[in-house]
Amino acid sequence: MDDLALHIPTDVIDGPTSLGFALLAVLGVGWCTVAARRGLDERLVPLAGLATAFIFAAQMLNFPIAAGVSGHLLGGALAAALLGPWLGALCVTVVIAIQALLFADGAVTALGLNVVNMALIATFTASGVLALALKVLPRTRWGLGAAVFAAAIVSVVAASAGFVLQFWLGGEAVGQSLGAMTAAILGTHVLVGIGEAVITAGAVTAVAVARPDLVHALRGTPLARPATTLKDAA
Amino acid sequence: MKKLLIAGTVVTLVLAGFVSLFASASPDGLESVLLTGCETTDGEITGGSCVLQAAGEHEIGGVFADYGIAFLDNEILGASLAGVLGVLLTLGVATGLFRLLARGKQPAPTDDARA
Repeated sequence: MDDLALHIPTDVIDGPTSLGFALLAVLGVGWCTVAARRGLDERLVPLAGLATAFIFAAQMLNFPIAAGVSGHLLGGALAAALLGPWLGALCVTVVIAIQALLFADGAVTALGLNVVNMALIATFTASGVLALALKVLPRTRWGLGAAVFAAAIVSVVAASAGFVLQFWLGGEAVGQSLGAMTAAILGTHVLVGIGEAVITAGAVTAVAVARPDLVHALRGTPLARPATTLKDAA
Repeated sequence: MKKLLIAGTVVTLVLAGFVSLFASASPDGLESVLLTGCETTDGEITGGSCVLQAAGEHEIGGVFADYGIAFLDNEILGASLAGVLGVLLTLGVATGLFRLLARGKQPAPTDDARA
């Protein structure tokens, strides 16, 4: 058990719930495949491949969030910011599938559960928050960073809420009440989300400064030059 | 574009092959909540009752199970190699799948000569 395990393991969520979410995952990923093709061209392929590999690597980097507890990047917000929700969801799905099939991380029977939480819920939540935040915030390096930061936190908490729903439907609380467990899951994932936000905001702003055209969330507009006051503050 | 891709790939390989060796070994947010109620020693459940006791063995396991290499005795080398191979594999699989998906699609007109 002294092993790196990042996702929902076998037999924690019952069969019918796992199957239901597997169907949901197939439908969702299928829809993303169709929608992603519309926005995809050959130029984007290497970037999408690299983003996927980066998410795989970053998920291995557990950072401490409290005594004896760690967190790691889920990657949905990063994928959504760089590639948009549809292609982004496909990237995270590829990572989760490789982990379950080759790295014994996340049960094969829990693939649907894990894909719905991390690939679909996290990515689409991040994309929504990002779009909203960018309507309000200035399109500067700092504005984009703040928008990505917020999107990343919310996406991780939303993904953990997905697990809570799955556990309500098909899990059995042992050793603690369902209410206490729900609070613990959501609470720890606020902390995980802060870590995710720091990494994601750093990575996305780094790409945005060098190549704003490669940041889907900016939709083809370059970053505005930061106001002098902001520059001074930095 | 090429420079960015090469730099990104190198960074990703270093993260998976080297930085990952220094990652926190504590259970992650999900696992720690599933472990609540159990006592553990070195990550092994030794008593109490918690959700994770219900969890079975992984269905497949595999050569890279738990981010190591099954047949390598050296755990550090195994973990590093598993990370590097995992990145290369993910890069290959994702790029291949996305290339298939993009087949027949022309790049959008762009004046970006760097692309």
